[in-house]
Amino acid sequence: MKFLRHLAAAVLVVAIILGLGMLWAHASGGTGVGSGPGRAPSPEALLRLKQIKENIKTSVIRVRSDNGFDLADTGNLIRTCEIEAVLAAVVITVNVIWRRRRRRMRRTAARA
Amino acid sequence: MNAGPTTPAADPPVTASRRRILARTRLDFWLDALLLVAYTLAYSLGFTGIATHEWLGIGLGVVLLVHLTLHWDWVIRTTRKLLRRGGRERFVWLVNLLLLVSMTLCIASGILISEVALPELGITLRASSFWRQMHDTTATLTLILVPIHAALDWRWIVGVARRFAVWPPGRSR
Repeated sequence: MKFLRHLAAAVLVVAIILGLGMLWAHASGGTGVGSGPGRAPSPEALLRLKQIKENIKTSVIRVRSDNGFDLADTGNLIRTCEIEAVLAAVVITVNVIWRRRRRRMRRTAARA
Repeated sequence: MNAGPTTPAADPPVTASRRRILARTRLDFWLDALLLVAYTLAYSLGFTGIATHEWLGIGLGVVLLVHLTLHWDWVIRTTRKLLRRGGRERFVWLVNLLLLVSMTLCIASGILISEVALPELGITLRASSFWRQMHDTTATLTLILVPIHAALDWRWIVGVARRFAVWPPGRSR
């Protein structure tokens, strides 16, 4: 019963966030779900699109047709892990330094 | 911490509430680990491919809702004491709130721009540039916030992992 009550509260919070997101989409020029085509693309965007299409044709950009795991592209996964590890290491280091400093300050205060 | 093997007779009596706490800690630990692995995989689009990325993202949304539900007590407790608590608690609360918002918008925008999962279910939505941009931005923000969120609880993670390492499975202490 408690779990269901908490689940309902969590769903409500998520619904509020989604509602605000939809409002944001609506406010930023009616580009919400199923909206019209919007602005016409700029000449620069069209040129870039043409370049991308040519790159796909000449295999400069590799487009995957399969939908499974691509074990050959583990570099992508490794990069994600690296970013996460570096950020976590920074937070842990800062946390350790902060705790040590606080302990030292407490000790100094206790001695005084 | 006593890491050595002990005889059942030497064990202190384990109360029902203690057993419940241990089961809950185990559930939290493994669910959080699952979330971290699933998120890391989902973010690596080049590795997973679009279909796995999308289905993983939808599954992540469901598990995240369970994660938030399981920690709802913490949300209420910390929000109530926000003004009285120190800087660290406030920082953790802010990181968690930002992560909740960015993760929710990331998954929602991902569903709205879905190219495989939703069409497979017979639902077709006309994706807009707003949601595409929202997905990219919130995904980047989430990649920054997830490791911070996990690292802020590193002492709990290390403590629980150490306890699991010394406890034989199925045994409570």
